[in-house]
Formats: sequence, structure tokens, C-alpha cells
Amino acid sequence: MADTKTSEAAPKKGKWTRRAFIGAGVVAGGALVVGVAVRPGNPIDRLSPMLAKGKGEQLINAWVKIDADNIVTAIIPHVEMGQGIFTSLAQMLADELDADWSKVKILEAPADAKYVSHDIGREFLAPSLEVPAILEPTVGGTFLQLATAMNLQITGGSFSIRGTGQRAMRVAGAAAKEMLIAAAAEDWKVPAGELRAENSMIIHDKSSKSAPFADFAAAAAEQGLPNKPKLKSPKDYKLMGKTIARTDIPEKSNGAAIFGIDADLPGMKYAAVKAAPVVGATVESINADTAKTMPGVLQILNMGDFIAVVADGYWQAEQALGTIEAKYSKTEGDALDQDALFARYATMLDEAGDKDGDVETEEGDVGEAFASAATKVEAEYKVPFLAHATMEPMNCTAWVRDGKCDVWSGHQAPLMARKAAADTLGIDMDDVTYHNAYLGGGFGRRSETDVIIMATRIAKAAKYPVKMIWSREEDTMQDHYRPSATSRFQGGLDKDGKAVSWSNIHTHLFDPQEAPTVPYYNIANHKIRKIDVPTHLRFGPWRSVDHSQHGYFIESFVDEMAHAAGKDGYAFRRELLAGSARHLKVLDKAAEMAGWDKPLPEGHGRGIAFVPSFGTIVAEVAEVDMTGKKPKVKKIYVAADPGFAVNPDGFAAQMESSIAYGLTATLYGEISVKDGAVQQSNFHDYPILRINEMPEVEVEIINGDHKRLGGAGEPGLPPLAPAVTNAIFAATGNRVRELPLSKVNFA
Amino acid sequence: MITLNVNGQAKEVDVDPATPILWVVRENLKMTGTKFGCGVALCGACTVHLDGKPVRSCSTPVFEADGKAITTIEGLAEEDGTFSKVQQAWVDQQVAQCGYCQSGQIMSATALLKNNPNPSDEQIDAAMAGNICRCGTYVRIRKAIKTAAGTSSETQEA
Amino acid sequence: MKAVFRASAPVLVIALGACGSDPAPEPTEQIVVREPGQDGSDAAAAAPAEEATDSLVAAGKAAFNTCVACHVVDDSGINRIGPNLYGVIGRAAGSVDGFKYSDAMTSSGITWTKEELDNYLANPAAKVPGTTMMAGAISDAGRREAIIAYIEDASAN
Repeated sequence: MADTKTSEAAPKKGKWTRRAFIGAGVVAGGALVVGVAVRPGNPIDRLSPMLAKGKGEQLINAWVKIDADNIVTAIIPHVEMGQGIFTSLAQMLADELDADWSKVKILEAPADAKYVSHDIGREFLAPSLEVPAILEPTVGGTFLQLATAMNLQITGGSFSIRGTGQRAMRVAGAAAKEMLIAAAAEDWKVPAGELRAENSMIIHDKSSKSAPFADFAAAAAEQGLPNKPKLKSPKDYKLMGKTIARTDIPEKSNGAAIFGIDADLPGMKYAAVKAAPVVGATVESINADTAKTMPGVLQILNMGDFIAVVADGYWQAEQALGTIEAKYSKTEGDALDQDALFARYATMLDEAGDKDGDVETEEGDVGEAFASAATKVEAEYKVPFLAHATMEPMNCTAWVRDGKCDVWSGHQAPLMARKAAADTLGIDMDDVTYHNAYLGGGFGRRSETDVIIMATRIAKAAKYPVKMIWSREEDTMQDHYRPSATSRFQGGLDKDGKAVSWSNIHTHLFDPQEAPTVPYYNIANHKIRKIDVPTHLRFGPWRSVDHSQHGYFIESFVDEMAHAAGKDGYAFRRELLAGSARHLKVLDKAAEMAGWDKPLPEGHGRGIAFVPSFGTIVAEVAEVDMTGKKPKVKKIYVAADPGFAVNPDGFAAQMESSIAYGLTATLYGEISVKDGAVQQSNFHDYPILRINEMPEVEVEIINGDHKRLGGAGEPGLPPLAPAVTNAIFAATGNRVRELPLSKVNFA
Repeated sequence: MITLNVNGQAKEVDVDPATPILWVVRENLKMTGTKFGCGVALCGACTVHLDGKPVRSCSTPVFEADGKAITTIEGLAEEDGTFSKVQQAWVDQQVAQCGYCQSGQIMSATALLKNNPNPSDEQIDAAMAGNICRCGTYVRIRKAIKTAAGTSSETQEA
Repeated sequence: MKAVFRASAPVLVIALGACGSDPAPEPTEQIVVREPGQDGSDAAAAAPAEEATDSLVAAGKAAFNTCVACHVVDDSGINRIGPNLYGVIGRAAGSVDGFKYSDAMTSSGITWTKEELDNYLANPAAKVPGTTMMAGAISDAGRREAIIAYIEDASAN
């Protein structure tokens, strides 16, 4: 039952198409189930190793179910890691469905291809898949696109609302409503046009008749599927745009919420692990003479790349592990120290000179423009590796038996976790059941499958259920890190202090591709290049990914150019944004909130930074007190335009959260390498911002474009560091070109 | 066998007396609201009360609980599930994000308000500085503590 | 108690996080101490955590197990999460080189006599409000005495 419209232009790269396929079927209990699979126009996602093998049955990513008690269940194809997505996505679906919010339940979609595909998905996918002639014009590109849709099971990239919410949850809700109305129209023998839905009821105003959705659920499932369900316009929103209490907060306030680490199975044992300190090294030998004799110890395993102790209790396992002496193989990574790494970056940047490296964007002639510029500005910035440090240490529980495997964890990509377990065991995905729980922080760390693989390997060796928990030390030392990076800039100003050239070369580029670019700034000549400097440390997406460093680099350099031009940072950015009303509005709002021109006490400074990322435009102003020994960040003003904030309080919470996360990195965040190994281990040497250091935060939301929504989880982070360092410059004249601030002596 | 008093109930456990309270509560008593965060009393995720005082259960051996009352997050609500004042304030202010640290935060806040029903901003920060929240819910934690301090019976509504 | 050594399979180290299609390698060494539920485990589990001893220092050493996650007592000069306690008795609070103390500890003005230590260990947060030592309160006076005796003894070596 696919959309048969054929005239749609080929999707532009980087844009999502708006069409969707819709499927429906009746499941046990006569509930109406509507599934929607959106079709992305740009089927590129480097995150998923499953892409190439994409199976159609995994296309389904969103569901709505209505049961006999008139409970609407929104089945959410994303994971809850603190971003409030269960509530926000359900809000979107329930609004389009005109469901009674008090009767909406939320269920996380299972990472179960069989359930998704064979029971329901095939009902609407199979006809298309079996008739390629019809499929071709409707699905276009088919398998790659289906596989991409499967990728939507990844929660990350601040994607859920703007992608799944817009293209799937709303469409699913609207489609279900149309089907319910069609079924009621048949039953009541009235035109569908005379019916409406409200509070989970179908209403016929003319006859004052009304009945609950549930009465028509079974019949609705028999209805033809609407090709293009009509979505509401903002004036008709009842739930979207409203602050609605998050459904997961009560159980997170009484200890009832179950996280991955809380998995409990009969006969379950506990594993403590220690990996070779240098990534890539092997555990050549272990001496477990003491560990063998310690209470509770069941097994001691040299897994080749890590050591595991399995015991009756986790503490016993950890105690025994601590007594094991190990010899590790030598690797090339052993030679690496942090200073040498930065030196390597510098050498390679030097070698790239003015011409080499991969060009990311180029416009005009930066060489000429810079050479003839009245004022030349140059600067180099550095940032260190960063660990994610989720509060819930990495963990995974696995049970391998009879050729099958069950895995419990909290993961940002449940299907990838399931596939990783299957691959680890060399069994079919159908023989792996993956059970997801709440994530005690994700921030990108829980999109990696290393813990899934490790736990599965241990459980296979043990043959009984094992819960593997990483110590905080392992969590810190064996992360997949935000890379350390160096970035160099050359900027040219004309005699009026107008920016005429922007040249940048930096190390690494992971994601998003546009992170180093500044298309919103009006600078005639610009050229941005990167060089790759591989290290043995593993890269991992870290909240806001490459924007986390480039926000700091770019907005620091803009501030330096402003200073060189003799202009105020805010005024200078206004010039750069001239012609882009939506961007300017955000910048102006932040300045207005902060009272930009109002004097501050002696020794205090104000800094501004502006970074659009993940579809959301954010400007932040920081107020910093530099009168003490250390910078004290007093207040952050945030103006943000996410297009439309579905749950404004939830959006504000994500801004507050990004500020705390970003401020930790700005003040303290540093993972350093010595002899190839990470030096930090716990919160004493990898400190996290504490409540006494948390600034006040004021957030204002601008709903600038209800048709194109932006993300919430990440965009608040990139402007934070430069807002703070620009404020420090304003207060002290001290330009911070390397993070974290704990390395800088302000005395 | 060690006999413990947990949330007002006597519990017998067969463990090494040096085992931290955290693991006894989580693994032996299957009460998983108390969380493991760092293992060395740096983050506060494991905070429970011993005779009403907040302690880091990851670094407090279970023998220290001998003759004392252990209170965990599961013991704060009333028997019918009605939230304590602090818990209700946490819901009212929409504090939790990922939620992992919040059991510890609520235990620390509860102990603070018991000793100091009307804490100043500085006192809140000082009392709560041992509890890390990686989601950065600190702004709301401050608000929730004030909500709990400033209101009494009306916040008991679930 | 039994120890089983499995013949070492060739070690094939997979990159952690990789999603290869080949199954992950088996352990290179697997020591099965016992299977769950087997007898003998209980003997080990029931082994007393602290050996009976009439020596105060030995008792203190055992009791110090509560502290070892953060502290060492040796002349290595190495601090862990907490400062090295070598020679702490008689020393001014907050004075170990290279350790980042809380402001509260640095400005406490305490000199660590045995009495002061005993006082502190009974309730660290009460003795030095704002200390970052969030654990380690020891309610049992005899245990505190033993720990202090152990620290004194270890510092004399």
C-alpha cells in the first residue's frame, strides 16, 4: 500500500523526503496497529555496519496501537537516555491522532526484526517488494533506502524529533485517525467528512453521536491506508508545543526505573573486566594465583584482549581482578604521549601548508584575499581527548545457551547491539533477543558495541547468565574518545574591519560533515581543509560530535577577528550574519537577554558565541567572574531556534544539560595519553562539574520554522566553550587557545 | 548471616561483612534503585542513609550497618506509594533526565532538609556537591530542594 | 576446587567495537575455579574476611581494607584518590605534596594527632565540613584504634 505518486523530484542530498509508507494490521486482542516507515532521501549513515545488509523487515520504526480499553500506545523507536524522547515523540503521535493524553501509554519498540517484519511489516511491505515495477517509482532506490530506514533505530544526532517525530510519529498518528474515522463512517453510515476525533473519541456532531476509538479499532485496521494523511497545522496543535510532564520522571524519582545495569536473571553471576591498557595490545599472560583462592570466584578468563573474573558477586569479582598480574604485548601505540601527539598534529599541519589536505569547502580566492587584507589575524587552537563519563558505567548482561543468546543493556542502537551479539557468536540475528533498558546517560558512548561483544564472549565461555560491569576506571580508560584536535586559522579584514577571508585547516573530521564550516557567516572568500592524523585511540561520537571542538575553534577565531577589527564581538557577528534574519534574531535575542551593553562589575566579563548545529540555531552569552583564582561562570543566557519546540520545558532542559556537559569539558575535560595508555581513571582526575559550579541558566526559545525542526540534545553545547573563553578575554585580555581551562594559570 | 534493617524491615544476608552496602542492597536484596557510579565515594550515585545520615554505600562496608537503620530510595515513599515531599518536588520540577544519579541526589537532598529545613543557596550547593549529575540537572535540583523546603502538605498530592 | 586450563587457541584480537562477521575468539585461558552451586564455593565464600588475630596492627591492616580504594600507606610518594597516609600522624592536615585537597581540609588547621584522626574517622564530614572524603566513617572505636595503629606501624617501616 505504497504511495504511488511518481513525479516527486529526486531527493536532494542531505534532505529527507517527506513521503512515508504506512501499514496497518490487527494484532492479538483486536488492537489497531499502524506502522509507518519513513523513507530517507539520503541513505548515507556511516554509523551502521548493518547498512549494506539491510533487510526489508527491519524497515518499521514506529507504531501506534489502540487497545480494547481505548488506551493508545505509542511505540517509540528510540531509546530514552535522559532527553525525554519517549514523551516528546508520544506527544507528536497523540496530537495528530487527537488522543486523550491521559490514556496514552508509551512502549519502547523492540529490537526484534521478526516481530517488526513478519507479523506486521510484511503486510504492507511484501506487495511492494514482490512487485518491483510498482516498487520502483514508489520506493526508488529500495534496498539502500530500506536499510537506511533501519538506521533510524539509532538514537543520536539530535535526530529523533526532527526525523522520526516529524516523518513517522505524526504520520502514524494522523493515518490512524483517518482510518478510525473511515471505519466509524461505515458503521454509522455517515460521510467521513462529518466526523472528527477528540480525546480518543470519534464524534459525529450532527447526531451528537460519539464512541471511543476502541470501538472501531478492528474495523479501522481493515481500511485502506491513506496515501498522505493530513497533518495538522500549528494552530490546531493540542499537545505539540506544550510543556507536558515527562512520563519517565516518577519512576526515576523512586528507584523503580530499570537501567541496563539493573538486569536480573535467575542464576546470574557477575563479571569484572580489565582490558589491556593500550588499545590494540593483547594480554599475553596472567598470574591469577591469588584470585583463584578468593571468595566467590567462579572463573578467571584471559580473553586475549581483556581479562575477566566471574564471581558470585560483582564486588568479589572486582576484588579478585585487582590481584591479577598481567603481561601485555608491545604495540606501536606504546610510544604515544600527549605532547608527541600534538607535535605530530603540528608537523602534519605544517606539511599541509597552504595547499594540501582535503578541501572541505572553498569559495573565492582566500590566498589573494588574505594577501591583500588590511589586517591579518592568525591563531591556533587545541583541544584534548574527552571521555563520555556516563553516570552508569558501561555494562551488559548476556546469556548464551542452546545456540541462542539473550542480551540486556541500555544501548543507543538496539539493532546494532543485537547484530553485534549475533556476529560475536556466529549465529543468526533471529537467535539473539536483545532487551533494552533505560540508559544511564548515552552522549554517543552507548552507540558503540564493544560492551555487547565483551559480555557475549564472557557469557559464552561461562555458559550461564553473566552481568559484566565496567569499573569507573575501565569506563574512563577504555572509552571511545572525542578526538584531541588542532585547528589553525588565517583571517583577513579590509580597512573597514570587514571580514574578507577565512582560511582554516584542522585535524580529523568525523561527523557532521558541516561542523567546521561557516556558511551562515557572510565572508566572500573561504577555504576549509582537514588532514587525517590517525591514532590508536578509538574515536566515538561525543555529544555534538565535531561541533564540540569546531564550535570552540570557530567562535574563538571570530572573536579574535572582531578584536582585531576593533569591534565588539556581538556587533561583528551581526555584520557577518547580515541578510539572514532568522540567524540574526537568535543572536539579537541572546544579547538582549544578557543586557549586552550593560556594565559588569570589575573583573567580570561577557562573551558571546553563535553556532547552528543539528538543525537548531543557538546563541549563548556567558558571564564570567575572573576576580578569583579560577574562572567562575555565573550565568549563561541561551537563545535557541529549533524551528518549533515540541515540548518547550524538555527543550530547555536539554539546553541546561548541554551547558553542564560543555562546561565540564571547558573547565576540566582532559583525557591524556602516556606510553599509549589513558592516564585518567575516575572522577578525581577526570572531574565532572558539580552543583556548586553550575551557573544560572536562562533559556528563550524562538519557534522560527514549524516545518523544519531542529534537534535538542546537542545544539546547546557547541557555543558554550567559546562563550566562556570569549568572556574570559573580555574580562582579562587573556585569550584561551587551548582547553581545558584548568591548564591555564589565571593568577 | 548478617541481619540488616533496611527500610524498616529485617533482612538476613549471607555475605562477607566487608562487602560494601551497595552490592548487598543491589545483588542480595535485589533493590536496584541505589546505583553504582564510581566505587570510591566520588559521585554520590550510591547514597543511602544510615540512621538518617547520608553515606556512600559503595565505600561503606555492610558491617557498618550493624545495629543501624539503612534507608534506600525505595524506602522514601509511603507504603501506598505516595511520594515523599522531596520526591514529589523532583517530579514537580521535572528534575530527572537520564535519572541514573537521581536516587543518590534525592537521598542527599532528603538528608539535607531533615537537618536544615530551610537551606540557603550556598547550603544547598555545599550539601549536594558530592553528588555528580552528568546530565546537568543541577538548576532543577536547586529548585526542587527549595520547592520541597517551602511547601508542606500540598506537595504530597501524587 | 579445581582449575581447568583449556588449550590455548590462537589469539586473534578483534578490535573492540568492530562488527566482524567471524565469531569472536574464544578465551586464550579459562580457569574454572568452580561451577555455580558447587560445594566448596561456600567454604571459600564463608572464609572470614578478617583473620582472627590478637595483634592490633594486624587487625588494623585488615580493617584498612575499607580504605585501600583511595589510600596507600607507603613511602612511594604516590597519592591515589586520597592522599598517601605515610607519616600522617603528627602531620598538618592538607600538607601532602602534589595532592589536591579540598579548601576545607587545607584550611582546617588540624594537626593529625591520634586523637584528631580518631575523631575524624568517626565522622569525617562532621569534623571537616566540606571534605571531599565522602566515605570512610568508621563507627566502631576499636576498629578506628586498630586502623590508626596500623597507619602508625606502616609509617615506621
